[in-house]
Amino acid sequence: MEDTAGAATEAQARPARYDDRIVTLFTACAVAWAIVGMSAGVYAAAELVWPGLNLDLPWLSFGRLRTLHTTAVIFGFGVSALIATSFYSVQRTSHVGLFAPRLAWFVFYGWQAIMVLGGLSLLAGVNASKEYAELEWPFDVAIAVVWVAYGVVFFGTIARRKMAPIYISNWFYGALIIVVTMLHVVNSLALPATLTKSYSLYPGAQDAIVQWWYGHNAVGFLLTGGFLGMLYYFLPKQAERPIWSYRLSIVAFWAFVYSYIWAGPHHLHYNAVPEWVQSLAMVMSLILLAPSWATMINGIMTVSGAWRRLRTDPALKFIVLSLAFYGLATFEGPMMAIRSVNVMSHFTEWTVGHVHSGALGWNALITFGTFYYLVPKLAGRPLASPRLANVHFWLALTGVMLYVLAMWGAGVTQSLLWLSLDELGEVQYGFNEVMAAMAPYYGLRLLGGLLFLGGAVLMAVNLWRTFTGVERAADAAPAALALETR
Amino acid sequence: MTAARITLLHVLLTPSAVFARWRDETPSAARIFFGMALWLLLCPPLFAYIGTSAFGWHLGVEPIELTRRAMLGISVAYFALLVFGLFSTAFISRWMAGTYGAKQAFGPHLALITIVGAPLAVGSIVHMYPHAFLNVVVLVPVLIWSMYLLYRGLPVVLETDQGRGMLMASALIAYLLVAWVGLLGVTVVLWSRGIGPMTGA
Repeated sequence: MEDTAGAATEAQARPARYDDRIVTLFTACAVAWAIVGMSAGVYAAAELVWPGLNLDLPWLSFGRLRTLHTTAVIFGFGVSALIATSFYSVQRTSHVGLFAPRLAWFVFYGWQAIMVLGGLSLLAGVNASKEYAELEWPFDVAIAVVWVAYGVVFFGTIARRKMAPIYISNWFYGALIIVVTMLHVVNSLALPATLTKSYSLYPGAQDAIVQWWYGHNAVGFLLTGGFLGMLYYFLPKQAERPIWSYRLSIVAFWAFVYSYIWAGPHHLHYNAVPEWVQSLAMVMSLILLAPSWATMINGIMTVSGAWRRLRTDPALKFIVLSLAFYGLATFEGPMMAIRSVNVMSHFTEWTVGHVHSGALGWNALITFGTFYYLVPKLAGRPLASPRLANVHFWLALTGVMLYVLAMWGAGVTQSLLWLSLDELGEVQYGFNEVMAAMAPYYGLRLLGGLLFLGGAVLMAVNLWRTFTGVERAADAAPAALALETR
Repeated sequence: MTAARITLLHVLLTPSAVFARWRDETPSAARIFFGMALWLLLCPPLFAYIGTSAFGWHLGVEPIELTRRAMLGISVAYFALLVFGLFSTAFISRWMAGTYGAKQAFGPHLALITIVGAPLAVGSIVHMYPHAFLNVVVLVPVLIWSMYLLYRGLPVVLETDQGRGMLMASALIAYLLVAWVGLLGVTVVLWSRGIGPMTGA
């Protein structure tokens, strides 16, 4: 297999200055949002075990905490991490500093303000009732403006690049920016009634189709495509070798872009949308397995030559494991899009488990691995404690395994109970009975979430110590070793 | 460990010594399969059959009773799938061996997967009481122990570097996760077509 461009596209030439302060701040905010979002998730999970934990306060109710959780982890943590890494890598793969640096700062302050105020609005009960797009219309307008500004900075930087090829990571980040603009604007079209209430422009089933065209492609182009941009830049850098097959990465990119956009209506199987729309979504979802796995194989083969670095580099372990979970999630997704599987899995905890095998196993782990590489670079000193990073690795692995296994168990149980009929053909088990059967699984899920959150807190401490230069004597020796190999 | 016969107790209590011995001896596939793996693979379906006959399936509410014929069918299918799982994982492992500089003979791959799976086979005694959550709570820690054995034992039995062993073990875990979820998919397709524990009309 050819070893073309890859990490080698970055030549030695270095311009006078890369804008890394904004990368640092976006990274810091991403870590903060991870803690906030995961804590909200853990608290909401605890409420499912002990409902009294909502303390009868509306803003602590499950419905509000759950939307804060998803918004904070996807848009606070995920998007901040994507903007940080895209700003870092686009400069280095283009050999120029950021285009319009002031606009870049507008993106930073604008995005963080939207997240803080938007998060508070969700707790206050202001909600557009669209999944993964819960913020009301004033925030939607602000998101569109900030997102376009992000696009101007990113593509402006690429337009000024000092080398002909556009490296593959930039294709994925570019697709993220373009497609999310399109999805966000179309899905958010609404008639405002007041400052805090609007009504979707689409009626009934059309609204559902638009919602899941948005929802699934947000998963596709943000949580998959955007993070593949991260993978394609940071994996070769950490492995110190080029992508196994650059050509495969390009083919997979176009196949990915083409097939993902059709898959959304698989969320609407057996619903009031035309059957051919459901069938098309199912078939395109199955086709999607090919580009997804091409990328996984490319990643695994790239890292397989870098085994000597595993001993000293805790970051690489996270990326290796994230590829395993990427493989799982991208296999499980198409499988759940098959209608005869979906009839059992839909609306059950299995779906929640699937989302988290992707979100924790793939998105969070690859971001953790990237941050363990990036922050020492930004700070100009080795990671404060590789040992703590190793502890984080095992906490994360155990946490995600517990979470996913608990949800598989819960989902299948829930489905079997829901589908059970009595002698008269009536539904055999009521809501309360099924919820009671779920309780132990919710407890196990809470434990998994707590372990995962605990690992993220350790990372925050470790990165903070790295950045501020506080180092314990006991960690000094392995840290020095890590520096040697970087 | 002496040249004495390796028993199940050795595998469970001193896995490191068994790993080292099977590295040195390069056991044949037939010896591993008929000497140990086959008997271990018989345990889970047998325990499940006994447990289901005595108590029915507990999903958190009243037990679901299955007919003798259905129980027998499910147990035989369970056994067949376990045999398929053992061999397919061992074949995938040998297929990966070239990439990760591991031993090529098939026997050690089968031996590795057998040792890794042994705690799960023994832990399946919990199938004797087929309460879904009890089974999850008992088998999850056992599963984590098995994953640890895979990371620990792979570089030893297959004689490869620690770092490459870690990568190969992760690649195998990716395969196992996919195989597991594939199995879950096949199972629910069968259930949604009326083959399985559906109760009522």
